[in-house]
Amino acid sequence: MTTKSAAILSADNNLLLEEPLLRLPLEVLRKIFKSSQRYIENDGKKLTELARDAGAKAPQVSQEASLESLNAMITRMQTLKRKMETLHEEEKVVHAQSRKRVSHLNDLHSLSSLLEDGYESWSKIRLDRFMVDYMLRNGYSNSAKQLAQKQGIEELVDVDVFVQCWTIEESLRNKKTTECLAWCAENKNSLKKIKSTLEFELRLQVYIEYVRERKLKEAVTYSRKYLSGSCDTHTTEFLRASCILAFPPERPGPYKALYAEGRWDHLVKTFVSTHHSLYNLPQEPLLHVALAAGLSSLKTPSCHSTLSTRHNTACSVTSLCPICSTELNELAKPVPYGHHTTSWVDHDLIVLPNGRVYGTKRLSDLAGKLGLDSGKYRDPISGEEFERADVRKVFIS
Amino acid sequence: MDAIEKELDKLTNGGANLSKSIKDIDKCLEMLMDARTTIENDPTATVPTLQALESQLKTGFQLATDSLKGPHGGIAKYGKALDKKFKHSTNENTFGALANRQPLINRAIQMHLLREGNFEIAETFAKEAGIVEGVPSVLDIEFRELFSIQESLRRKELKPAIEWAEKRRDLLESRATNLEFELHRLQYMILLFQGTPDDIPNALAYAKAQFGPFQKKYLTEISQLAGCVVWREKLSMSPYAALIQDESSWQSIIESFTTEFCALLRLSAESPLYVATTAGAIALPTFNKMATIMKAKKTEWTSQNELPVEVPLPDKFKYHSIFVCPVSKEQTTDSNPPMMIPCGHVLAKDTVQKLARGTGSRYKCPYCPADSLPKEAREIYL
Repeated sequence: MTTKSAAILSADNNLLLEEPLLRLPLEVLRKIFKSSQRYIENDGKKLTELARDAGAKAPQVSQEASLESLNAMITRMQTLKRKMETLHEEEKVVHAQSRKRVSHLNDLHSLSSLLEDGYESWSKIRLDRFMVDYMLRNGYSNSAKQLAQKQGIEELVDVDVFVQCWTIEESLRNKKTTECLAWCAENKNSLKKIKSTLEFELRLQVYIEYVRERKLKEAVTYSRKYLSGSCDTHTTEFLRASCILAFPPERPGPYKALYAEGRWDHLVKTFVSTHHSLYNLPQEPLLHVALAAGLSSLKTPSCHSTLSTRHNTACSVTSLCPICSTELNELAKPVPYGHHTTSWVDHDLIVLPNGRVYGTKRLSDLAGKLGLDSGKYRDPISGEEFERADVRKVFIS
Repeated sequence: MDAIEKELDKLTNGGANLSKSIKDIDKCLEMLMDARTTIENDPTATVPTLQALESQLKTGFQLATDSLKGPHGGIAKYGKALDKKFKHSTNENTFGALANRQPLINRAIQMHLLREGNFEIAETFAKEAGIVEGVPSVLDIEFRELFSIQESLRRKELKPAIEWAEKRRDLLESRATNLEFELHRLQYMILLFQGTPDDIPNALAYAKAQFGPFQKKYLTEISQLAGCVVWREKLSMSPYAALIQDESSWQSIIESFTTEFCALLRLSAESPLYVATTAGAIALPTFNKMATIMKAKKTEWTSQNELPVEVPLPDKFKYHSIFVCPVSKEQTTDSNPPMMIPCGHVLAKDTVQKLARGTGSRYKCPYCPADSLPKEAREIYL
């Protein structure tokens, strides 16, 4: 009945949830690299221009003036160097962090069985990481930081990225678009690559707010500046948006949706999902994925049974099922229960006169521990005592 | 993992990072500084020096840009190594089953934090998550006691645990646990073996004072413990070698204490959140495969109340007896419970009815020659 194969640990199978662990630092690394590219390109261009100017003007201007322009170039060059060094430091941090993460995943590869102690401690760290991930995604950043620090897993979680994400989310919830637009500008190229409509939607919202306040002149100027450019790609939206100039919020006519408060929630959702896809993060907390799968595979028809067959705690020979426990019982209600093709029961089953079935050894062990008379059994769940002569053998094929 | 490590090495030590570009920029900076020194020392050199700068800077920046190819390629290769490793990843496996159940998940997390003794974090969490109906404060206090007794056991102090167990002797006894006796036994063995021979009377006095109430149930054990005195110097060679106390006895006493403590609170000893996420991670490959098939067939598994395939889990994740009717191959439920027929074989209720063709007539057991009436079958509880 014992399925040995079920205990074999395949590290690769256990890595299904671990991609973000290495993926996110890679995206951060890419970002750092892109900034360095931008710095070198921009400052290089500017500095060669300055050099050209200085060279051209040199014959006409005083030596002091020439020195001054040279000094300006030096200052700019120093700033560039400093900026590059900062990026290099950040890069080193990400490298070190990735190394820690790789070695954490390697720990898993050195295990061969799910029953080893090593797997348990690895799995405990995984739960801690997932809880931190869950907390960060829900904006509980202090809890997340405390937990990460206490468990010593700061290198394995991404507090900064999520805190930034949450700050922008909150600003959108407070109907402010500035932070989110700044983020869009920062990630312009990546957003273009995935054909994100986030920036257009944000601009549209700014415009709608102008119209809502009946600042029509500002609305038109804004639309001309930021929306008209997208009128090819977002023709319908652009036309509809233009129409609301004629329909004030009190009488929105067919444009109720554009004035709707729900648009802000929509913006928050769009931002978060865009943010997560840019960083290659799953849209759902990892805890949800693992927990949903776990609840279902552990759940049995008995876990929510209305009959009192549930294992209770009245006796030390029964162990309490995690799905039956108060912590998860309610949560597991809507999920389907696990599928089984073979029965899983104790050896040498006997049925007590009250209809309850137990393994013979379980009952005799219990009777021994309780110091019962040798002719008796006690039902560990109901507490009733029965004569051993009254039990019957049960056959489960 | 090796491929990933190799690429990572190249990023850190192999120079596929920004250090080379920084050196190039530094050279440009030096060049500018040199130009300044030249001009300051020899004003007549001002014009030619400045006029040479543009092309010098251009070359310098070209070098810096070229040096970026190192990190660019390195990052790309590292990314490819990740792609290869994680090709079966579960990125968009949204079961959605837990999407709107935040309060319940929060409570489960709060309980887990308390169980692990992270009281401060639990407090911060409750505040941040705005938990109103979370874990009752009674439990909070209980968990603090649990944790402090566990800590004292880790420091090898038995007294708080013994006091706890003594107060709950009746409850523990009805659970048929020998926790209290085991705590005393450990204390006795410590007194006997950790002191000098002069301490033996102390150990015996302890035994006399404490073992009294356990005489009836644990007579054999107690006489063995008494026997240990004789073998004090060479217990490992004695018939009582199994009684030697070491680190693992402490470990197991902490475990059984935790189990009993939680059981009295009607909780499982292991954190359900931990067990469930671990089981989930083990089960995930099966779920992934299932999701792929479901997607291809355009069906959804949440619509049924049973998973379509069996998830292989180690036995320690099985908490309930499971009965699958050998005829219908269905798991029994409240509405289709297991029935024992007079010959002692067990079938699902629906199966019995089917065998009797719904008429209540006599039918033969599918597993032995006996025949019986459907009304003779009785429901059993597994």
